[in-house]
Amino acid sequence: MRRNKFLLAFVGIGLAGCVTSRVEDARENVTGLEDGQSVVIMTKSYHQGNETEKDYLTCVEKALGSGSKGIKVVPHQQFVDRLFPWFEPRTAPADTKGLPALMERPGVADAVKALGVRYVVWLDGDTERVAEGGSLSCAAGPGGGGCFGFAWWQNDADYEAAVWDLDGNESAGTVSADVSGTSFLPALVVPIPLIARTQTKACKGLAQQLRAFIVQ
Amino acid sequence: MIQEIRYASLAGMAAILLAGCASTVTMEMPTIPEPRIEKIPVDVAVRIPAEFENFVHVEEVLGKSSWTIDLGRSNAAFFTQLFGHMFDSLVVLGPDDDARDYQFDALIEPSIDGFEFSTPGQSQSDAFAVWIRYRMSVFDSVGNRASTWTVNAYGKSQKEGLGGGDSLKRAAILAMRDAAALIIMQMERVTNISQLANGPLDPASLEPDPAFAGTEPQSGEPASVIGVFAIGGIDDATE
Repeated sequence: MRRNKFLLAFVGIGLAGCVTSRVEDARENVTGLEDGQSVVIMTKSYHQGNETEKDYLTCVEKALGSGSKGIKVVPHQQFVDRLFPWFEPRTAPADTKGLPALMERPGVADAVKALGVRYVVWLDGDTERVAEGGSLSCAAGPGGGGCFGFAWWQNDADYEAAVWDLDGNESAGTVSADVSGTSFLPALVVPIPLIARTQTKACKGLAQQLRAFIVQ
Repeated sequence: MIQEIRYASLAGMAAILLAGCASTVTMEMPTIPEPRIEKIPVDVAVRIPAEFENFVHVEEVLGKSSWTIDLGRSNAAFFTQLFGHMFDSLVVLGPDDDARDYQFDALIEPSIDGFEFSTPGQSQSDAFAVWIRYRMSVFDSVGNRASTWTVNAYGKSQKEGLGGGDSLKRAAILAMRDAAALIIMQMERVTNISQLANGPLDPASLEPDPAFAGTEPQSGEPASVIGVFAIGGIDDATE
């Protein structure tokens, strides 16, 4: 019985690829979150060449808001719609210098207050395949089929989150996650995928650090 | 009998393969959120052109597939919502409505100058992109052309799912929102439309319409009025 559990755990570990990660922050100002205050997660504009994936944004939103220490997160689309057109890809402020003027526009400060948004977090970065190799071939016939070979690939996930404090219209600092993962796919009749969940690791690591950064 | 079944199977497979090479995306009605702006104090009429009732664009990807995007009435809904949010009052005119039957300070005629999109296969990326070029012609209450403005909008959405149809729709909606943001931010600065609330333009101050450069005005009529009449706008001056 005990041997089976060890075997199961060993197989579980073996089925995941190798992942290395580094998450760090750089603080510029004091932060904190009071009752009723919330955070909104945005991606930097594609007009500026940013390629952050939509599912990464959704993952960070969920990870920040979940768990016993979860913080209140306003869905980004709700925020963008309520403040239309000032947070569209073309019009969103590129840095905190534009925030005071933006807050003076009709209805903007009221909408931010009504949503309880204290921090805007801007995500930048993406996950890219940086290397791959090996070969794998599969064949099928009337008597059955199978695969033979070995393939591998390496994904790098580099993300940075810039935190803006709307209370003082200033930058609070940045949190970054740099994760590298190598996946393997050996096949001897049946392929056995050993997948490195690089983006998920970068999401959870960044969200955890962001929560600590904001709440202190 | 076996021969017939074989032909039917081949025809079925050919149909499936051909269907796999063409994709059609039908747009839903876009929703433009109420903008955080002060309304421009002008009573406006917008003429929805016939092309806005059923706009279809086909993009042939050389040697690969064809994509068709059916915008339907989405542009009509888009401009009706947008101008409703932007101006004090709005009258919506159809392509055949006579503008003289309505009261307004300014008439806006939007049209599509260009529509393009790219698929991930074309752009060697994982995103669909849509470009829309709108032309906005603004007239005063008697049909003088006040200004013409070209708005270039862009939307991009990463591919999700197998077909990518939803991503293309999202890119098109983002392009419309981009156009809305531009129009909201720059309409007054570019067209001075609020000045038309003070009455029609002084005909003596009008410059000849560039679209009709080289055309001689007839019987002392201002060039701009001829231009408006020629594009199917208000034709008060012809009476």
